[in-house]
Amino acid sequence: MSSGRLNTEGIMLFEQPFARVPYENYRKVFRTSQKHIEKELGPVQTASHELTRRAKAGEVNSEDAMKSIDHMITRIESLKRKLSELQSSSGTPTLSVMKDRLQHLSTIEAIQSESEPEFTRWADTRLERWLVDWSLRHGKERTARQLAQERGIESLVDIDLFSDIRRIEDSLRGQSCTEALAWCSENKAALRKLKNPLEFDLRFQEFIELVRARKLEEAIVYQKKYLIQWYETHQAQIHQASALFAYPPSTAFGAYKRLYDPNRWSALIQSFRLAIYNLSTLPTEPLLHLAMYAGLASLKLPACYDPATKNPDCPICDDALGKLAEEVPFSHHVNSTIVCRITGRIMDENNWPLAFKNGYAYSKEAMEDMAARNNGIVTCPRTGESCHFSELRKVFIS
Amino acid sequence: MDAPLKELSKLEKLVSNATLPKAKSPSINDSLDALLHSLEEAKQRIQSGTATEDTYTSISKAAETTKKDVDERQKEIYNSLARFGKALDKKFTTPLPSYPPLFTSPEAEYALEHTIALHFLRTGQLNIAETFIAESGLSISQETRSRFSTLHYIITELRRPNIAPALEWTKLNRPFLHSRNSPLEFYLHRSQFIRLLLSSDTTAALEYVRAHLVSLSSLYPAEFGRLMGCLMYPSRLRESPYADLASPSLHLDLEPMFAKEYCASLGMSRQVPLRVVGDIGGGGALARIEKGRKVMRERKSEWSQSDELPIEIPLSAENRYHSIFACPVSKEQSTEHNPPMMMQCGHVITKDSLQKLSKMGGRVKCPYCPQESQLGQALRIHF
Repeated sequence: MSSGRLNTEGIMLFEQPFARVPYENYRKVFRTSQKHIEKELGPVQTASHELTRRAKAGEVNSEDAMKSIDHMITRIESLKRKLSELQSSSGTPTLSVMKDRLQHLSTIEAIQSESEPEFTRWADTRLERWLVDWSLRHGKERTARQLAQERGIESLVDIDLFSDIRRIEDSLRGQSCTEALAWCSENKAALRKLKNPLEFDLRFQEFIELVRARKLEEAIVYQKKYLIQWYETHQAQIHQASALFAYPPSTAFGAYKRLYDPNRWSALIQSFRLAIYNLSTLPTEPLLHLAMYAGLASLKLPACYDPATKNPDCPICDDALGKLAEEVPFSHHVNSTIVCRITGRIMDENNWPLAFKNGYAYSKEAMEDMAARNNGIVTCPRTGESCHFSELRKVFIS
Repeated sequence: MDAPLKELSKLEKLVSNATLPKAKSPSINDSLDALLHSLEEAKQRIQSGTATEDTYTSISKAAETTKKDVDERQKEIYNSLARFGKALDKKFTTPLPSYPPLFTSPEAEYALEHTIALHFLRTGQLNIAETFIAESGLSISQETRSRFSTLHYIITELRRPNIAPALEWTKLNRPFLHSRNSPLEFYLHRSQFIRLLLSSDTTAALEYVRAHLVSLSSLYPAEFGRLMGCLMYPSRLRESPYADLASPSLHLDLEPMFAKEYCASLGMSRQVPLRVVGDIGGGGALARIEKGRKVMRERKSEWSQSDELPIEIPLSAENRYHSIFACPVSKEQSTEHNPPMMMQCGHVITKDSLQKLSKMGGRVKCPYCPQESQLGQALRIHF
């Protein structure tokens, strides 16, 4: 079975986040522009009506009118500036990222077969994208940046998104919710739509920290201000919060003791990561892992782990990749495929296997070639057995 | 990607400041400018004392119009963005599957980092390799590094084109290349000879033959004969019967050929392993595995994760590294305990099937031909 023709559908399975991340970014740009417009244009409208009303009532003097008009002009100019800054700093770059990515994907749609040099280039870039994604998720930001820059694929990877993630995670690791809460408020609508409780979890943690520090008055204020609004969905936790006042860290037990557990911070990092991946439509596993899972499983055979049958050309026979392949299932095969140990080529009806007397078999091509160079004598490279070519026996594989 | 690209270019036009003939509203910038203009005008009237009630009404109207126009344009942009999103939805109908965390044990993490470091070295991205090794705290032996840097040095020189370093290597590894039956050395010389010939330096080409090619002529008599034939067409090799030898691929093919032999001599794979695995996984295998899983789920039959894939993933010939013998009788894959056995007639089945087929006295009739043979005569085959 050969797979020379490209399986575009299978390739595209990986590319959804690649196309979607900049789209989500642009939606954010749009929301920001909308906010600017509402903030500046609304008051201008109100002011203009007010001015007209006063003029009609004859209450206006030219000095007041001038002042009011100048005020409107300032607002509109500030709106124009904000919009143009937004467009040049985020809007246009995001649009060009969207375009670059779609074009990268349309390249692959135009390629027919894996043997085209165009495919090799595309697949190189794809692997580089996966390696950047992997490095960013594994805290190797310098590698990621350098790789993206040297290969000229900055618009095809999400370095900014991951540096944001990293910045926020670092602040959580330093036991501060400020950055994460700011992110939550930026994405309030989307989080609410997903019914994601991250914001409550962060608020609850800040509350716990106040109680831990025995700043009880502040904690009461905090609870009223930030926790009570979640009463409908987080009733049990809010009750727990109230009861926590009675249990300082030193005497807490059971569920209350668990609330003081510093590991809650790691859990928060985890929830934050899931939330931001979810919102950005990124998979929770690096793309490289998903591709490797499937690739390793397609190739893995028991023969890869037997020193007698290892093949240096086989990726799974490599120690490191073989180690990784321990986590994936073996490949499944219904039909025989006999590969010549000398030429590495598959044997078939035109290039059948020939066996030595001891049962070691090689392809006809390999044996003929060896015989031609050694006056008709062939030697088994694995066992050293020698005989004349004519003594080899043809093996029938049905 | 045509549909999303088309929607994208519409969106780009809508958010630009250009005036669009088809849009329902002027660009936001134009709308705001119009309002500014009205305000300035009103200001002048007030300053010159010619302002009437209408002046004020016009401000209010202008603000109204601008607000309406801006809202209209924002709505158009919003709709365009939504259409783009829909085009993406159509293009990407299946979400990526979610997997439990993979490769998280310290051993697996180390193995993966090691693999990635070697990948950068192998593909000649030496600077990135150094950064990565430093960031991961890996230690890669100097020997391994120099193996890869030698490979890259030789390949870079080949590209210039300078065959000297490659030749030097083939001289040092002659017995190895000979055992593999590799024509690398001959081909390196051939490339140099053709280059001399194409630069119309027949004398130098002839001298080159004497110095380097004659000694190899006995190994490649036919090829050597053709090269000598080329000498008859010094200035028009491209129109000669030997035009194939003038093709640039003659030299370009040396690169993969050298890399293959070099890697084989060091026990490394001929292809870049991470690319092989990634291309298979990312080229349809994951999609197939997911489909298989789905079918299994629908049949409500469980599939044990660590055992075997429920479906076969098609592999190209170059990605077949091991022989697989599936018994034509039992359909089972052969194992160490159930090896392939060849009967007298030459047909092969697994040992278990052979035993099941045997009758009294150890006689077996081949299921594929009329011949009968003795069980004891069957020969274990090692592929």
